[in-house]
Amino acid sequence: MDIIILGQQLLGYIPLGDIVLYLAPLNLFMFAGSLAFTTLIAISRTETQVEAGFGTLKDREVKVGKKEFKIRRFLAIICGLATAGAMITGDLFNFTLFVCLIGIVNIGIVAAVKQVDVLDAAFQYGLVAMIAVLPLFGGAAMILASTGTISLLEILNIPTTAMMIFGSLLLLLGVAGETGVAPFYATKAEMFRTPGSPFLLIIHLSSLLVIVRLIEILLIINKPF
Amino acid sequence: MSASVLVPSVVSPIVVSLFIPAVFTGLIVGLIALMAIAYQKNDLSALILTDIVGIGMLILVAAVGTDLAEALILPGLVVELAEILAISEILLSREMRKTGKTAELIPLPVSLDMEVMTTAPTFLAIILIAYGAFLTGFTGGAVAGGGILFYVLSQRVRGVPSDMWEGVAGVSGIAWCLWLVGFLLFFVFPQYWLLALFLAAFGVFIKVALKAGLIGVLGREEFNKK
Repeated sequence: MDIIILGQQLLGYIPLGDIVLYLAPLNLFMFAGSLAFTTLIAISRTETQVEAGFGTLKDREVKVGKKEFKIRRFLAIICGLATAGAMITGDLFNFTLFVCLIGIVNIGIVAAVKQVDVLDAAFQYGLVAMIAVLPLFGGAAMILASTGTISLLEILNIPTTAMMIFGSLLLLLGVAGETGVAPFYATKAEMFRTPGSPFLLIIHLSSLLVIVRLIEILLIINKPF
Repeated sequence: MSASVLVPSVVSPIVVSLFIPAVFTGLIVGLIALMAIAYQKNDLSALILTDIVGIGMLILVAAVGTDLAEALILPGLVVELAEILAISEILLSREMRKTGKTAELIPLPVSLDMEVMTTAPTFLAIILIAYGAFLTGFTGGAVAGGGILFYVLSQRVRGVPSDMWEGVAGVSGIAWCLWLVGFLLFFVFPQYWLLALFLAAFGVFIKVALKAGLIGVLGREEFNKK
């Protein structure tokens, strides 16, 4: 392959018709990382959360039932797979769809918990995620309008215009709202407090990987150097 | 600003000049929805108002106006629907925890004695059938079939003579033959393509409409088996 993406050699691409998945060293590393974490989720078991009590030396154990645990584990696996898909996709709308899927599944993971404050936080997060769908899809549509394509391998060769910069700003705003990073991160921290299992960390890992991938995509679209 | 948008030469300049206003409209609709959600005191009303954000997204994606953008509208709508479902599950869980009662996943209205079933049926059925006839083809057949189904469901509440529907099944079969004849005409006598087109379109429309109506008949027979 002679295609150079952000200074790294393209290792290969998988053309599924119109939707092209491309593999470069950065993508491959994040893809492998999210798949490894998904495998860890698939083989995990329940844990008991221990809360210290005020005024006594006794600890309170908070457990999660087996059925609820299985549903959450299934949703966490879907979240991991969606993150893995978002890492190697070479298509802008495919990326936005995967980000939306991550947002929906994050809500689903905490949908059946028993703490009302976690549910409150999840509702606020869901509301912001729904509002963020507008700049997310709108930004991708504006990049489609200004470049004529949504394939990242094609956009690599198109010189930057003002509308592409505006579209990327909208895209950045959309991903920030959808995955719950600053300034919307407060509710996500509250969401994580539910007991159950350590794999709830996928809620944060998916946002981290998506932000890194988004920076790569923004560098591909607007070429600052 | 129009120099930064890729435009093929066959597009008229009026349409090109509408793109930037459409983008601003979409963004302003989003801002209005954001203000409305911020002023809401009720959680459920805030959730319903996010539908306006979905419309703003539709405006932005549809403003691009190409085939590719049209293919991207449906995933956006599906995502919006899925997010509303997920968040309403959260609200349901929260209310269940707060009040201690439980609710089913998909509540079904089993009793069909709603007011619309007695006051509206003929009018709505006629509107749906007329619109389906205008659309023709498979889509039109589905719309008209929906109208017939609605009429049958409403009549079930009041009682309907059953031998009317045997004739309906027969007409559906004959219309299906019209559809086949239309396609044969396309292959054998292509110079009569307009006649063949209308035969095929109206044939399949009548067939699908009456088939969908038959679903109502089967349902009615199921219900009467007490």
